[in-house]
Amino acid sequence: MKNKLFKMFALFAMASMILAACGGGAATPAASAEKVKVVIFVGMGTGTDPDQVDAQNKLAEKFNTTHDNIEIEFLIVPHEEYATRYLAMLSGGNAPQLVGPNGVSTVAEFFDTWEDVTSYIKADNLDLSDFYGPAVELNTYPDKNTGLPLGLYPSYLYYNKDLFDAAGLDYPTHDFDDKSWTMDKLREVAMKLTLDKNGRNATDPDFDPANIVQYGYDDSWDGMRGTLADWGAENVGRPTTADYKTAVADSPEWIQGLQWLSDGIWQDHFIGGADVQAGRDSAGVDPFGPGTTGMFYSHTWFLAEGLHDLSFAADIAPFPYNPKGNRIARIDADNFTIPKDAQHKQEAWEVMKWLTSPEVIVDVCRIYGCIPARKSVQAAFLEQLKTDYPGIDYDVIFKSIDYLDKPNNEEWIPEWGKIEDALNNGLSLVYSGTEKDAKKVLTDANAEVQKILDEYWATHK
Amino acid sequence: MTSFKNPKADQSRFTGIQAQSLLLKSVTTFILAAGAAIIMIPFLYLLSTSVKDRDQLRQSPPPLIPMAADTVNINGQAEPLYHVTVNGQARDMALIKFRPGGKALFVDPANPDQTFELVIADQVPIKHVEIHFENYPKALQQMKFNKLLLNTLLVTFLGMVGMLFSCSLVAYGFSRFRAPWLNVLFILLLSTIMLPSQVRLIPTYVFFNKLGWVDTLLPLIVPQFFANAYDVFLLRQFFMTIPLELDDAAKIDGASPLQTLMYIIIPQARPALVSVAIFHFLYAWNDFYEPLIYLHSPDHWTLAVGLQTFNALYAVNTNYIMAASAVMILPPIILYFLAQKVFTQGVVFTGIKG
Amino acid sequence: MNFSSGKRTLSLARREALWAYAFIAPWTIGFLIFTIGPMLASLFFSFTDYNIIDSPRWIGITNYVNLFHDDLFWHALGVTFKFAVIALPLGMVFSYTIAVLLNSKIKGINIWRTLYFLPSVIAGVAVALLWGRIFDPKFGILNPFLEKFGIQGPGWLSDPQWAITALVIMSLWGGGGNVIIYLAGLQGVPTDLYDAAKVDGATGWQRFRYVTLPMTTPVIFYNLVLGLIGTFQYFTEVYVLTNGAGGPARSTLFYNLYLYQNAFKYFHMGYASTMAWVLFIIVLGLTLLIFRSSELWVYYEGQIKGK
Repeated sequence: MKNKLFKMFALFAMASMILAACGGGAATPAASAEKVKVVIFVGMGTGTDPDQVDAQNKLAEKFNTTHDNIEIEFLIVPHEEYATRYLAMLSGGNAPQLVGPNGVSTVAEFFDTWEDVTSYIKADNLDLSDFYGPAVELNTYPDKNTGLPLGLYPSYLYYNKDLFDAAGLDYPTHDFDDKSWTMDKLREVAMKLTLDKNGRNATDPDFDPANIVQYGYDDSWDGMRGTLADWGAENVGRPTTADYKTAVADSPEWIQGLQWLSDGIWQDHFIGGADVQAGRDSAGVDPFGPGTTGMFYSHTWFLAEGLHDLSFAADIAPFPYNPKGNRIARIDADNFTIPKDAQHKQEAWEVMKWLTSPEVIVDVCRIYGCIPARKSVQAAFLEQLKTDYPGIDYDVIFKSIDYLDKPNNEEWIPEWGKIEDALNNGLSLVYSGTEKDAKKVLTDANAEVQKILDEYWATHK
Repeated sequence: MTSFKNPKADQSRFTGIQAQSLLLKSVTTFILAAGAAIIMIPFLYLLSTSVKDRDQLRQSPPPLIPMAADTVNINGQAEPLYHVTVNGQARDMALIKFRPGGKALFVDPANPDQTFELVIADQVPIKHVEIHFENYPKALQQMKFNKLLLNTLLVTFLGMVGMLFSCSLVAYGFSRFRAPWLNVLFILLLSTIMLPSQVRLIPTYVFFNKLGWVDTLLPLIVPQFFANAYDVFLLRQFFMTIPLELDDAAKIDGASPLQTLMYIIIPQARPALVSVAIFHFLYAWNDFYEPLIYLHSPDHWTLAVGLQTFNALYAVNTNYIMAASAVMILPPIILYFLAQKVFTQGVVFTGIKG
Repeated sequence: MNFSSGKRTLSLARREALWAYAFIAPWTIGFLIFTIGPMLASLFFSFTDYNIIDSPRWIGITNYVNLFHDDLFWHALGVTFKFAVIALPLGMVFSYTIAVLLNSKIKGINIWRTLYFLPSVIAGVAVALLWGRIFDPKFGILNPFLEKFGIQGPGWLSDPQWAITALVIMSLWGGGGNVIIYLAGLQGVPTDLYDAAKVDGATGWQRFRYVTLPMTTPVIFYNLVLGLIGTFQYFTEVYVLTNGAGGPARSTLFYNLYLYQNAFKYFHMGYASTMAWVLFIIVLGLTLLIFRSSELWVYYEGQIKGK
């Protein structure tokens, strides 16, 4: 009897397996007949929200019904595992045709895997003049052009008007030419906005730093390179010289910037340290939304993420001038890229052109929250902005583009990932209070970076 | 019929052993209750978070009972309400603008043109309990729960069947026999889980891709039919607690090793088999690492992968994650509860005579 | 008697061995199909410079040499050891104690068992987010609670000195799985042994010490070995909680996390493979030690002598 049970079990198991195999297999047919399938790998950056997924599928429908020879499909990869899945697909020989939206950082992270689109641009005699110059530059590297620009994310200050009102302070100036808006002024204003639980601000001698309930300034959503790019070092947001051989993370400007940050946290107390940041991600909360931050330095993508359901009035203002008398407001940029090892790269190129075409780019950018990189669609996009995010100074967004950081704080350098971790470890030393002396932090970090570069060049060239 | 014979003797017997046992049971219950209370606190916060909206998530520290401020519409904006004392009178007013010095402008909603500048700390904000049950259907619908549930059940149950089948056989082989190199093979079995899986990921993916199994549920199910170190090891440990005399008795009766396994060992090892089954269910239910790599189309995802979509780059929808997780807890818990019957059985006697 | 060769009955030992191999065949076949290839591949990679995109380039033992000169390797090893040394014994004692309590015949024991099991059922990402919120030093749950007793809570996950402790607490909470194993082991102790002990006049503690504990050594052994392997490969929770960074200030840079960074972030797959095999040797060594020691303290009722 038990023997029979055994056999039945085994049969059932085998039958289920076959069923599963069939069920699984049937859902992945090859692209229908002559249509070439272009798979778009989404997950390196934004695009994996359920809302965005629906919007992308609608976009795919729009393309598929108007094109006979190509069929696009958005492949959604949960953001946690984009690296493992992308590399697995590359190694497995089924590389996606397009990858994006890619920030400068993920372009840099997988730099060696991308196709150079320069020849495609030449072959089509494509006119790039409608794209913002900076946007094209951000995709142009010495040995390759990584793709057509999709969108830009300039940065500026988001500020909480209610907190300014309560402190009796004027809102930050919206005048880009006002040179009195410096990092020093920002510090002053931020200190007045920082309150302890007794309502005293950080300029008050009886201020209680152990019980702060609101902070004047926050820049915690960026790494070391992003935070220090604005201070005007010779290599701006790049921790190496142009030949990538010498580490320059300990430049005077970077040290000055990091010390400003360290003092802001540990001396003047207007910036929250690691303990304030802890738990925010776990709560699904950003630094600005709870209404406990006076000014938050971030990018355009924060509009989609943070400017919803606010219980206070908010607006945006330009980032201050640095001590050298220049304004640098770091920028993020998105594009789509084509993996070198993909098949049907020509078709991928066609899709890339379509996604960045004047007709479609505004819709695409609305999904991802970026400013379209084309000048000709700004008016249409502005109308969208007004509907989606009413009541803010849109000029600040567009004007900030001109002050982007070049070299960019996310752009490729050799051993990009390893150097990124080394630098961010230094930043974490400051935020956690383990080391408050910026000079020491950056000198050590620089030594680490130099070592990494030396090891790299020892095995390359 | 009650015994009147020796009431004193009965009494002393009661105070002796039964009192001791009662004390022990009470202490045990107390400790368990205290421990359970502590353990449940995070879980309560999970439930609490699952019914909050985005604004409520921002409250710090997070209240266990979801609260929200009462608001009233003044000039198109929702302004928070406070119990306010003005000129000795208690009224409900809305705060419309902050002023320096800890003060703010308040207005009576019925008469919004007259403003009062008052100290905020002296007023009491009006809050109410606000529970967003709709987070549950929303989260489940967004992650396409029904479809993913089917995939997950397939992977979990088929895997369980395959695992029980293969691991029983293999554990039996490792525990009841003598053979050359058997010890080495056992260590080899264990060693397969000592190598971090990250470095095997790419070669394994390439292999499954060549088979055409990528984007199907097969890589998650088929290998289960070939046993795994964790469950084989556990079953082996259990089999080795079963006395050999039972095997010998069966052998004398003419049973083959297979029959010994089926009729002697497996019935004795029921608690172990149930444990192993539950573990596997749990593991497969919550595993997202492997499914994330092999399952490309969202239609093929398992629940654990679907859950990850709420954990995006800029938007971590904690409330949806908690809601979906809460629902995902139910099947394993129900299974566990049902399996209790087998657990409580235990082994009464060693089954050896003499 | 026919002594010629040909179809003779196999000797008893031979027969037994063949049965053994037959029963473990499902595993050996699976091993050959699914496991050995990738394992050997990764061993090969450890002797190469392999960035996944280009073909691997043979460099001999360079990776191994570089590994021993890598400060971060030693640091990661230290972090992992520290966690293992604290979490493993603590976890085992905790789980065993709870299992003993859950083995009582009190009313509603099923409900208690389910409650203690519940934490280990919750999806990993939800657990990580929950505890991230609980451990939030300023706006979380634990510190405000401690403050009620006048205790100033530390920074937990944001404090390099306390991050590991926070992770240990989190892992203890989710230990319900081990409790089940211990419970099954406790259930498997034949009750007539207890009866015999009672007849001999053994106290509760003596019954525990001389019946319960020895009879459950097989499952203790199991949890020890797997606990060792598990804590040394601790990864998922840290990855979610620190966004893959191992911070703050690398205080939670576990060995497997550093390995993952090398493999998928730095494109040093060869180096990562080296790390994997070094860990393999360490864990294998420790496991063999435990196996050796098991002859001294693990008791199997049905163990075959003389393999």
